[in-house]
Amino acid sequence: MAKNYHRAAPVSLDVPLISNQEIWMNIALIKQYHENMPRIQAEKFVLNALQRLDLAHIAYKRNPALTDEERFVVLLLRAAMVKDALIIIDRPFKIIPHLKNSNSILQALKKIDDFYTTCHIYDYKWMEEKYGAL
Amino acid sequence: MNVLENIGRLGVKTVKSFLDTISFAFKVICRMFQYRSYNSAMRMVLINQIYFTSVQILPVFLIVSIVLGSLLIGIAFQLLKQLGLTDYFGNVLMGLIVTELSPFFTVLFITLRSASAINTEMAVMKVNGEMKTLETFRIDVINYLLLPRIINGVISLVLLSSLFSIVLMVSGILFSWLIFGMSTDVYINILLNSAKFFDMVIALIKCAVFGFFITLIPIRFGLRASREFTSIPIAVSGGMVNVFTAIIIIEVLSFLIKLF
Repeated sequence: MAKNYHRAAPVSLDVPLISNQEIWMNIALIKQYHENMPRIQAEKFVLNALQRLDLAHIAYKRNPALTDEERFVVLLLRAAMVKDALIIIDRPFKIIPHLKNSNSILQALKKIDDFYTTCHIYDYKWMEEKYGAL
Repeated sequence: MNVLENIGRLGVKTVKSFLDTISFAFKVICRMFQYRSYNSAMRMVLINQIYFTSVQILPVFLIVSIVLGSLLIGIAFQLLKQLGLTDYFGNVLMGLIVTELSPFFTVLFITLRSASAINTEMAVMKVNGEMKTLETFRIDVINYLLLPRIINGVISLVLLSSLFSIVLMVSGILFSWLIFGMSTDVYINILLNSAKFFDMVIALIKCAVFGFFITLIPIRFGLRASREFTSIPIAVSGGMVNVFTAIIIIEVLSFLIKLF
């Protein structure tokens, strides 16, 4: 893990979205900063990624305007922008507290599976039943 | 003895804070000249900042500069006429109003509008834990947050102060005609004869230094906020007091440079 620290991409409420930036900017930030991806290209890339998750309409909103589900997907997409991302989801049910099971989380992960290398979900033992057969 | 100890402690604290600010300023200046600091994300923030500080402000700034500039020019010209110092009106216009008062009023305006906003923005980001986000994704806070804001401060101050000077000189045409009965040709001739290149350079450098420090200091104080909301007003008031102190110090230093 120590040698892959630059691939670590956490999805957690402790790593919040930048509140004075629009959603697409939050997601594009990593590509723009680390890969110097031009603004227009980055915007297009993020809009396509959001489109896959049927969330293109939130691209120009800001963090406080999002629902819990939308916020989770944005955090996930942002993490997936890290090159060869090793996504670490920290207590997903803390981000979307009203969720009954992990189906929608797994569906979202499946839709963007070409963006990341591996994904690990960390949660408390007593949340096990919410993950079903996983 | 306690009083002396407190004075000493305060003195040491002030000197330490001053030296910290200067060393931080050098660090930022070094980053300014590194090519890799100018990535796509940084450039986008820079463009947004220039828009917020220099473009969005234009209508209000123009109205304020027309009203304030006309008032200043009117009072100065009227006073010169009453004192029989009409011959010196070019020197007063260029030496005092354009190179001294125009940067000063511009820096006050930008401090009240943008420096306070930057200070609060940084403190709120710190409280929300957004700095941790940047750190987690290995995004350098200086390159991404500080540099665009500081470069924007320098560019905006120089441009807006120049605009203020242009407005002053244009309103001078009207007042020189009303008060002295002077034609536009004569007015422009006097202005050109009174303009000194060295004064202009000093004024522009002063604007750049103002721009640098009125953004650097609020950022530094904003970043001093803790994770508690109650630390925001403390960080903002501390930052603003220090910005005004810096403005006075820069004014005094520029005056001393001109004097010697």
